Amino acid sequence: MELTKREIVHFPQGMTWEDIKVKGFLETSFVDWAGKVVSVLFLPGCNFRCPYCHNHLLVLNPEQYEDISLAHIVGRLAELKGWVDGVCISGGEPTIHPHLPLLIEEIKALGFLVKLDTNGSQPHVLRSLVNEGLVDFVAMDVKAPLDEISYTRTAGVLVNLERIKESISFLQKGRIEYQFRITVVPALHREEDLLKLALQLRGSSSLTPQNFNPQDPLDENLKGTSPYPDEWIREMEARIAAIVNS
Amino acid sequence: MISVAELRKRDREVSGGDTTDMALFVRTSEESMEGWDRQRIVDALIRETYVDPDTAEAISLEVEEIIRSSNINMITAPLVRELVDAKLIERGLEEVRRQHTRLGMPLYDVDQLIMDPNKENANVPHGPEATNLTLAETIKKEYALLRVFSQEVADAHMRGDIHLHDLGFIDRPYCSGQSLEYIKKFGLNLPNSISMAKPAKHPEVLLAHMVKFAAGLQSHFAGAIGWDAVNLFFAPYLEGMGDAEVKQLAQMLIFEFSQQAVARGGQAIFTDLNLYWEVPKHFRDVPAIGPKGEFTGKTYKEYTKEAQQLVWALFEVYSEGDGAGRPFFFPKPLVHITEDFFMTPGHEKFLHHICEVASEKGNTYFVFDRGETAKISECCRLSFKLEASDLEDAKRPWKMRYTALQNVTLNLPRIGYLSGGNDTKLFENISRFIEIAVKAHLEKKAFVERLLSLGEKGPLALLTMNQDGESYLRMHRATYLIGMVGLNEMVKIHAGQEMHESKEAFKLGLQVIAHMKLLVDKMSKRHGMRFVLEQTPAESTAYRFAKLDLRFHSPQAGHIVMGDIARGEVYYTNSTYLNNAAAINPIERVQHEGLFHPLIEAGSLTHIWLGEARPSPESLANFVTKTFMYTQNDQIAFSPEFTTCNDCARTSRGLRDLCPYCGSEDVDGITRITGYFTKISSWNKGKLGELRDRYRNQGFMKKSSDSAEVEFTLE
Repeated sequence: MELTKREIVHFPQGMTWEDIKVKGFLETSFVDWAGKVVSVLFLPGCNFRCPYCHNHLLVLNPEQYEDISLAHIVGRLAELKGWVDGVCISGGEPTIHPHLPLLIEEIKALGFLVKLDTNGSQPHVLRSLVNEGLVDFVAMDVKAPLDEISYTRTAGVLVNLERIKESISFLQKGRIEYQFRITVVPALHREEDLLKLALQLRGSSSLTPQNFNPQDPLDENLKGTSPYPDEWIREMEARIAAIVNS
Repeated sequence: MISVAELRKRDREVSGGDTTDMALFVRTSEESMEGWDRQRIVDALIRETYVDPDTAEAISLEVEEIIRSSNINMITAPLVRELVDAKLIERGLEEVRRQHTRLGMPLYDVDQLIMDPNKENANVPHGPEATNLTLAETIKKEYALLRVFSQEVADAHMRGDIHLHDLGFIDRPYCSGQSLEYIKKFGLNLPNSISMAKPAKHPEVLLAHMVKFAAGLQSHFAGAIGWDAVNLFFAPYLEGMGDAEVKQLAQMLIFEFSQQAVARGGQAIFTDLNLYWEVPKHFRDVPAIGPKGEFTGKTYKEYTKEAQQLVWALFEVYSEGDGAGRPFFFPKPLVHITEDFFMTPGHEKFLHHICEVASEKGNTYFVFDRGETAKISECCRLSFKLEASDLEDAKRPWKMRYTALQNVTLNLPRIGYLSGGNDTKLFENISRFIEIAVKAHLEKKAFVERLLSLGEKGPLALLTMNQDGESYLRMHRATYLIGMVGLNEMVKIHAGQEMHESKEAFKLGLQVIAHMKLLVDKMSKRHGMRFVLEQTPAESTAYRFAKLDLRFHSPQAGHIVMGDIARGEVYYTNSTYLNNAAAINPIERVQHEGLFHPLIEAGSLTHIWLGEARPSPESLANFVTKTFMYTQNDQIAFSPEFTTCNDCARTSRGLRDLCPYCGSEDVDGITRITGYFTKISSWNKGKLGELRDRYRNQGFMKKSSDSAEVEFTLE
């Protein structure tokens, strides 16, 4: 397929496409943004080590995978314009990359909506992206009830909880569309944990529980362990919604 | 000496056309040949062939001598027949031998058949009824190849140049589409049936008539039984019913059709329900038929509410799935999306509703009728475009019944191997193959017409019933399908690239199909019949062709066939599809595959394999709308995958080795094989190879150290 050559206008002196690493590019997704047909970019690296992470190859050893050139991505996006409504920036954790705003500016210049997937550990990045009108929708993964022990255990690293809370309250102001999500793992989350978190997030737009995928998690001990039944997740989704929306 | 004519006459008197006691065993004791009657050989030769009595006499003596002088202590009728055949060969009487052929199966094969499941058609379960079906099919297949088709056509099939579909159902048309109006108006009055039912007064009775009629049709057609505008034609019976009652009816309808595995060969009726949200233009002002088969005095547009109530309820049932939460395999719901659809109030809500089913269970087929075309769909993707004369019929919808008499598929890669990269040869060979296919159609048509000419005393009495001035099967409206398998591989052989790999390769693919379309149109004119191109669902044909080409065109075929040769899981890409494994995003797949669809009159379909992803219904609705607006694609379906546990009877998302709930290894996968859902344990090896390859819209990363593709799911 032919690529459209585009002038790179937004980059500061000395910076090139190569400074922005994108490791994965899914051109069409129906799962990432309800109602939209989107493309997804996967950025490498993460500051968390969630034991259930299903993208750990991207988190632990991103160097061994080829970069996808931004010229290619931009060219493809231009071709898919009209079909693809938006671009979802995922990872890894995108907000740890200093060049993230530049990447998003390029996408925005093509006229796409942008969704950001984040763990909320960089509230200042989040705030500035929103302030500059660079993101239209944020999906924040909340890992556990908001206490140090639960959070650290689920995120696999020591987490500064204040930053997480700051991101949460910033999003709760509702300046842009947002969604809280939690990946539910039987070994890490019990029913009361979910309800507790729901209470802590009361007044938010939503908290969506997602089932964990035991196929190839970061922590080998979780591999092949049973997730909760789907019906249970759905039942919890309804109970959580009742609390969050109350 | 009596004359041949007299002999034949006497024979008829003796046998009376009754075939029930023909299975003779000729046994001999050790000393004498008790019960042996040489005359039987003579009689059979004279009855069945054109051989003269003297030769028959001589052969019978020679065979008797062989048996007398051998040590065989028990002979069977088939053995005697083969001995006679050997003598015919010695005399060079090839045509006589053909006429004298015995059809049947080796003991070993029957043994296997009774013990092991059938893999040719995943819609046939394993059981005594299924075994009966297969036994009958085997003999009828042989019969077809010897009796119905000329040697040229039969050989082309055996070689794998073409595939004659459903040879085991040689004495039936291929598939059919009907209207509920027929049974609403005339009741259920089937030939050979012991009672006659007047037109239904209640919706439940109408449903019962529909199911019985479908079962009757199933035993007269090889394949799918489609029904047009089901929700609309039920509507006049639903007046005044509440949502709960309508839901109950919807549930009955779906379960009745999904649990018909007690019918022919234990096979569920391959049922398609064509459904509409709006009242289709061509039915809007048609007088509606209601209870007792009487006109209600209203037109169909006045039943919009009831029709919508039913179609909504049907999708509620689909979204719940069966008792174990699995998707229903049958009946298949085909929703017609038209310009009017988008102008009908409530369409957004309905589109969301059916997309939810597409995401959760996958059932929904989105059929796109753009502009003035109206279609009725059935079978895996077959659809009939309604033409001017049909739209005239639409004023009397009970007239709207259609059939495709037969499907013949061309092995396109074979054409590629035979043409050696030469353009002229390629197109010449395509013409040659199409001519053979046309010949096959003429031969089948002649045969079916012979059966039909026997009228109500013949085997196809049901299809000749005449309640409205013409017979149920309207031969003058029949279509003759010419399908294709492996366009992608043909292009690869000829141009060195697969269709998704370059614009030139893709263009060649289009040229080939356009050429085929031109040829079938020409043939239609020449023969005064409707030959149309079809996307063959090729459940087993894709496997059969690949295997035969590996046999006849190796080593070249070894580089061309898809799948895993070491495992024996080889296949060709179905019809005009792009490579199943290629990471082509769904947008470009519906666009590019859609470019073929206008050339393929009998209907087309693009599959979007979802894997275990559970898409947002709103996103699917968005995509479906864009596909309608921006492409020429005829039809799309989304196929999720499921694992069903035989121990705990629960169903989970994705294909897994273990049940995620109970850890049992006794699990089975469920997804679409071609145009329908079924359990993966019943799939043939070719389709298993395809399943392993299917690109499920995952993201992937490339290892940088070497260029070997290492794929990871990035959900």
